[in-house]
Amino acid sequence: MAALAIRTEGLTKRYGDVTALDHLDLEVAPGEVVGYLGPNGAGKTTTIRLLLGLISATEGRGEIFGLDCQRQPVEAHRRLAFVAGEANLWPSLTGAETLRLLGRAWGSGGSGGSRVRVDEAYRDELVARFDLDPAKKVRAYSKGNRQKVLLIAALMTRADLLVLDEPTSGLDPLMEQAFRGSVREARDRGQTVFLSSHILSEVEALCDRVGILRQGKLVELGTLAEMRHLSALTVEATFAGAIPDLSGVPGVSSVQADGRVVRCQVRGPIAPLLKVLAGADVTELLSREPSLEELFLAQYGGGA
Amino acid sequence: MISRLTARRAVRSGAIFGYIFGAATASSAISYTRFYKTAAQRDALAAAYGSNQATSALFGPAPELQTVAGFTVFKISMTLILLGAVWGLLTSTRLLRGEEDSGRWELLLAGPVTRRGAVVQALRGLGAGVVALWALTGLITAVGGLDASVRIAVWPALYFALAMAASAVMFLAVGALTSQLAGTRRQAATYAAWILGVSYAVRLIADAGLGLHGLIWASPLGWVEELRPLTAPAPLALVPIAALTAVLLTATVYLAGTRDVGAGIVPDRASRRPQLRLLRGPTGLAVRLVRPAVTSWWVAIAVSGLLFGLIARSAGGTISGSSVQVLARLGSRGNGTDAVLGVCFLTLAVLVACTAAGQITAARSEESAGRLEALLTRPVSRWRWLGGRLLVTVVVVLASGVMAGVFAWAGAASQHAGVSFGSLAEAGVNLVPPAVTIAGVGVLAFGVWPRGTSIVLYALLGWSLLVVVIGGVGGVGHWVLDTSVFHQMASAPAAPPRWEADGVMTAIGVAGALIGGIAFRRRDLQGE
Repeated sequence: MAALAIRTEGLTKRYGDVTALDHLDLEVAPGEVVGYLGPNGAGKTTTIRLLLGLISATEGRGEIFGLDCQRQPVEAHRRLAFVAGEANLWPSLTGAETLRLLGRAWGSGGSGGSRVRVDEAYRDELVARFDLDPAKKVRAYSKGNRQKVLLIAALMTRADLLVLDEPTSGLDPLMEQAFRGSVREARDRGQTVFLSSHILSEVEALCDRVGILRQGKLVELGTLAEMRHLSALTVEATFAGAIPDLSGVPGVSSVQADGRVVRCQVRGPIAPLLKVLAGADVTELLSREPSLEELFLAQYGGGA
Repeated sequence: MISRLTARRAVRSGAIFGYIFGAATASSAISYTRFYKTAAQRDALAAAYGSNQATSALFGPAPELQTVAGFTVFKISMTLILLGAVWGLLTSTRLLRGEEDSGRWELLLAGPVTRRGAVVQALRGLGAGVVALWALTGLITAVGGLDASVRIAVWPALYFALAMAASAVMFLAVGALTSQLAGTRRQAATYAAWILGVSYAVRLIADAGLGLHGLIWASPLGWVEELRPLTAPAPLALVPIAALTAVLLTATVYLAGTRDVGAGIVPDRASRRPQLRLLRGPTGLAVRLVRPAVTSWWVAIAVSGLLFGLIARSAGGTISGSSVQVLARLGSRGNGTDAVLGVCFLTLAVLVACTAAGQITAARSEESAGRLEALLTRPVSRWRWLGGRLLVTVVVVLASGVMAGVFAWAGAASQHAGVSFGSLAEAGVNLVPPAVTIAGVGVLAFGVWPRGTSIVLYALLGWSLLVVVIGGVGGVGHWVLDTSVFHQMASAPAAPPRWEADGVMTAIGVAGALIGGIAFRRRDLQGE
């Protein structure tokens, strides 16, 4: 069996009394696109820094394609490319120089000292796609343009695993589209993508599975369909005649009436609610699955 | 608001420097009275240094060595004048251009304040820092002056402090102006450092007994010297000091209003053709990144070496009899030219050590600014990155040492001073071990206390320099002297290099680098 792209076992990081990440168990199969959600300070970046071996774990362990993150960082990094949320680059280098440096640094680690060449044609294609002027110095780039340099540097490697930590901060909507296109391309090519983000539409559009982190703990992990199944369905009914009392119906909660329109949430089987509605004079009935945003807010107590 | 924010930081560092200045002055005055008790001892000292062109060139003339005041000025003032200038230019470029670089300035400028108004406010804050420097230097000098054997009155003490602050205020203004001209903090500090270097070189030539004393008026540091605190006060020299400061500050405020926030007056080309030659990996990148700073240091070392070589023969001719004994206490042996060069090489040793320290702080700033992550998240091990930086450091330091020797030889040879190339090249290499120790201790700090890297480096450097300068003339216990890397170094070419001491220093440096490297490999990366 091929090794998992990412595997963590009880991965924990504590800073004094503060637990930044608490016994994380996570498995990401090769070829998967996994979204990693959580509000600021939930431990997303800590997870990624542990996986990259930039900080050491207080407890537990993490593996990238079966390679220990802490003990074999160089071997693990050969298989991955990383995009940080903040593009800290060398202000005196130009975009082209930075891409050359980062490409060579990535390629120099081939096993047995061999060199892996970055596909320069693909790099140039990405530069065009992201509309980057590579002759400019990093100092003269806007935040979004610096972010593009990091994205191109990661994508051009075609590494087996892309680790993306809020990669689109500062990108305009057009570039956001270019980014999504590139991630889909990567997935179609069989690359694994681990995407930490709080742009929920991005995660919803790209990811097969989603993990939600809260105060250092993984509280949800599954496909969107699974998560929706566990969550409430929103039902909205418009009545012509008398409005029945829905509050006692099994599975129904958060009933809100607004004139002739009643909104409620249903958990579990929907049949009891339909029975009640069938007896009333319903002119319009809408039901929809919760969006990722609603799931996320529900998880954090902001929603129903 | 800006005024207060700037003042808080400027006053803090001004007070620290003022404390150091005052303490150095007072301890120097007191140690003189303990070490040179009799009139005969003092006359011997005066005979040794009074007409010694070498020390005059380096530290300024020494007119009244029979008095506590005269000795104190001679021994301490040039060091403090230079330190004050360095403080001034670093503080103003940090708090003006540095704040702008970081983007914090923009937040403040979004408030109800113009660009000129903001600079005026910041300058006022910096002014508070100078006042703190002056007040503490004066206060501690005055308190030290109360000692019955020292007896420096309050007014002369305050005037002495004014002279020290004068150099700080001029270079503060220089830094303020270069902060408008340059587009980055480093660039602004480099411009200002060049102006300081030229000022020092001009002053050195003026005091070197080459018949060019009139040149003293061409150097801002010369004006400070001409204030003649404690010996023969000449406040008239305050006129050019005040005039230069006023011109620089006016230009600063004017230019601040004519340029964009975040940009300099000297245009920084935003685009250029890529230069890819060195960008093959972390070590090539290190070379590329340190090139501008190292070039500046190398020019400074080459020019200093050349100047020292040029003055060595004429200065050495003035040394005889008791002079030799006194120079011997500074570590110099032999006669004439060699003895002078021995003392001069101490200055070169400081420059070479500064070059080494700069390499380690540059490595740390890669980490603190988050740029190191871009390399370490690729298949680049921490050993490979740090090893590359250290390799560059070793090469830079070795080349600095050899260059110091070769240029000193070139200067001396042009004057037919009769010193061999071999002995000066050897003296140049002799400058390397103290720098290696400093770099090694710096790497140790980088490994175990990364945020304290530059504090440890510059504390060790400053301490070593202070100990060897104050202790050189006597009155400091051996166990204190032994803590100075510059004291451990033989003063070649005046004395033969002490290879075993050099070996120990190198071993300490290598051990520090190894332990620091192991600690770095195990620790978390840390930002600012």
